[in-house]
Amino acid sequence: MVAKVSVTDLHKSYGDNEVLKGINLAVEANEVVVMIGPSGSGKSTFLRTLNKLEEPTTGSIAIDGIDLTAKDTNLNKVRENIGMVFQHFNLFPHLTVLENITLAPIELGKLSKAEAQELGLKLLDRVGLADKATAKPTQLSGGQKQRVAIARALAMQPSIMLFDEPTSALDPEMVGEVLKVMRDLAEDGMTMIVVTHEMGFAKQVADRVVFFADGYIREEGTPEQVFNNPQDPRAQDFLNKVLNV
Amino acid sequence: MHSKTWMKYFMLTIALMVGIITTGTDIAHASKEPHYVITTDTTYPPFELQDKNGKYVGIDIDILKEIAKREHFTYKLVPISFNSGAQAVLSGQFDAIMAGMAITPARKEVYDFGTPYYKTGVIAAISKNSNIKSLDDLRGKTVALKTGTGAAAYALSIQKQYGFKVTYFNDSNTMYNDVALGNTVATFEDEPVMKYAIQNGVKLKILTKPANSGYYGFGVKKGHNQALIKKFNAGFASIKEDGTYDKIVAKYIGAKESNFAGSAKVNNSIWGLLKQNKSQFLAGIGQTLMLTILGIILATIFGVAIGILAIIPNKFSHGFASTIIYIFRGLPLLVLAFFIYIGIPSLTGHKLSALFSGLITLMLNEGAYIAAFVAGGLKAVDNGQMEAARSLGLSYGKAMLKVVMPQGIKLMVPSFVNQFIITLKDTSILSAIGIIELTQTGTVIISRNSQGFRVWFLVALMYLIMITLLTFLAKWADKKFGGN
Repeated sequence: MVAKVSVTDLHKSYGDNEVLKGINLAVEANEVVVMIGPSGSGKSTFLRTLNKLEEPTTGSIAIDGIDLTAKDTNLNKVRENIGMVFQHFNLFPHLTVLENITLAPIELGKLSKAEAQELGLKLLDRVGLADKATAKPTQLSGGQKQRVAIARALAMQPSIMLFDEPTSALDPEMVGEVLKVMRDLAEDGMTMIVVTHEMGFAKQVADRVVFFADGYIREEGTPEQVFNNPQDPRAQDFLNKVLNV
Repeated sequence: MHSKTWMKYFMLTIALMVGIITTGTDIAHASKEPHYVITTDTTYPPFELQDKNGKYVGIDIDILKEIAKREHFTYKLVPISFNSGAQAVLSGQFDAIMAGMAITPARKEVYDFGTPYYKTGVIAAISKNSNIKSLDDLRGKTVALKTGTGAAAYALSIQKQYGFKVTYFNDSNTMYNDVALGNTVATFEDEPVMKYAIQNGVKLKILTKPANSGYYGFGVKKGHNQALIKKFNAGFASIKEDGTYDKIVAKYIGAKESNFAGSAKVNNSIWGLLKQNKSQFLAGIGQTLMLTILGIILATIFGVAIGILAIIPNKFSHGFASTIIYIFRGLPLLVLAFFIYIGIPSLTGHKLSALFSGLITLMLNEGAYIAAFVAGGLKAVDNGQMEAARSLGLSYGKAMLKVVMPQGIKLMVPSFVNQFIITLKDTSILSAIGIIELTQTGTVIISRNSQGFRVWFLVALMYLIMITLLTFLAKWADKKFGGN
């Protein structure tokens, strides 16, 4: 079986500064992979290369067997299949909550306006915000914004979801509501790649934990392996710091 | 939904513009008689002046009309500042000039002249209460000259000898006022014109005997329009022979200007001025508004296109847009207008109407400013917006149109209102290429009645009223459509 996501020897440099130094990773369908590591380790950059918001310098990325680095690949088509959730939500402030969700499916001709609205309301209900359809993003709390952002990504009915530190910009009391939505999504079988500092989420939900440091993957395994018995000294050091505060 | 209405307005505008441009340009005449475009000065009484109905009359105008009738040709008269008209004949914009143009050796190098039709000489004039006794007293002082005239050339030829400084004006009346008010101490002018002006109340007196005596001539670009010169000469011989010429000259020389331009009584009240010149002011306002509105529409289309090119992540488009903004924002509007109106036709040989040139000038200049703040406004939208839209699969164009632009435009609205006001004011500069908008209307009316203060006061008031109304309109539109 072909892996859902397959990354081979991926490098990324900004000028002389190499931030990804040869990443290899395969993610299977329905798998939840959580990426942890110190700031500046390259995990967010890596996540952003997976839908080509960052252009890799060398190496290859394949999603469902489609090579993203090939010149003739229709990137827009590939992106329709990869939802992304950002640290700062990036909701469209000039649109209502429902319009945020329905914009892409309507514009890309995936759904009629009525179908998109129906789906949008269903998704809002799923993230617990059915009553906010006509609100503007500025009227929402951080946790609500992030849940709308998740619903917006889901509206394109993607088969992979990328989360880039989805709870880092939230007040502590709002982290739980977002993680709950993500947990539900994982239980429904969504393939997810998550960059996060929420170790509890990683332990409970991840099928696999990947530890990044200095542009390399230093450690990789089940949550039990990585959290209870890390092999790499950098991973030991990092986990020691974040788990024993 | 909205895009369709937008498109309709857009098409309507284009249609309107094409209409204006084509009517502004000369359409082929139905009659078999040859048709010419002939320029004259805006104000050079008694040779050319506007009567109280705004129609051009004067020795030049009447002679031309009579000759055209006898020699069977038609023409369109384009009044424009003397210097611009003289250049535009050389660039091929106009076929001929009939504007009290003295025949000088230098001009003979580039123009062919018809039979000399009026004797002239250059005199110096000073303010009525000036104590200057001779040209020697001008040493170290500043004299006023009219750009591109024979009198100016004469003054420059004696400048070293008498040691005066010079400053330039584009129309006679402003120049006379400058001397009368004492800003400059003297002016050099053609004798018949100066005499006529003094006789009609300009507070100057003549200082010197006519120098550099010569004749006025009807000019065409050297080697061109020889048939027109032949017709002029034949017609001139005919009106000279039967006394028509003398009648025309007698009609103006010695006659009070008020015979043509209306009585002086009305000039003493603002209401009187307003009433008497109502139709001219209205036409001027109409022209100014038309230039402003069409100008800002064209500039917005151009500016938004260039502004978007400036932020597309592509080196070529970015470089192209930056260069366009740099050039057209850097050029003074007047230089750009002259370049398009006079410069380009002399290169290509194709005439451009003043209105067309004016609109293109506004489009490029105001458009460059718009492009700069459009690019700035779009850049000010958080990059995360573009990333979020792209991550959903939207193309760059769709993401720009549906996500980035609606947010950027809100940031730009105040700049748009500002640019609208600037454009309205900038249209006044286009008077230099002969568009009779509000400012030029003021100049022309003053040339007739010498009421500088009252007329400029009225013109200033009209600009302020227009700007106030347009600002209200813009704010209302912003509230209604911008959602601010």
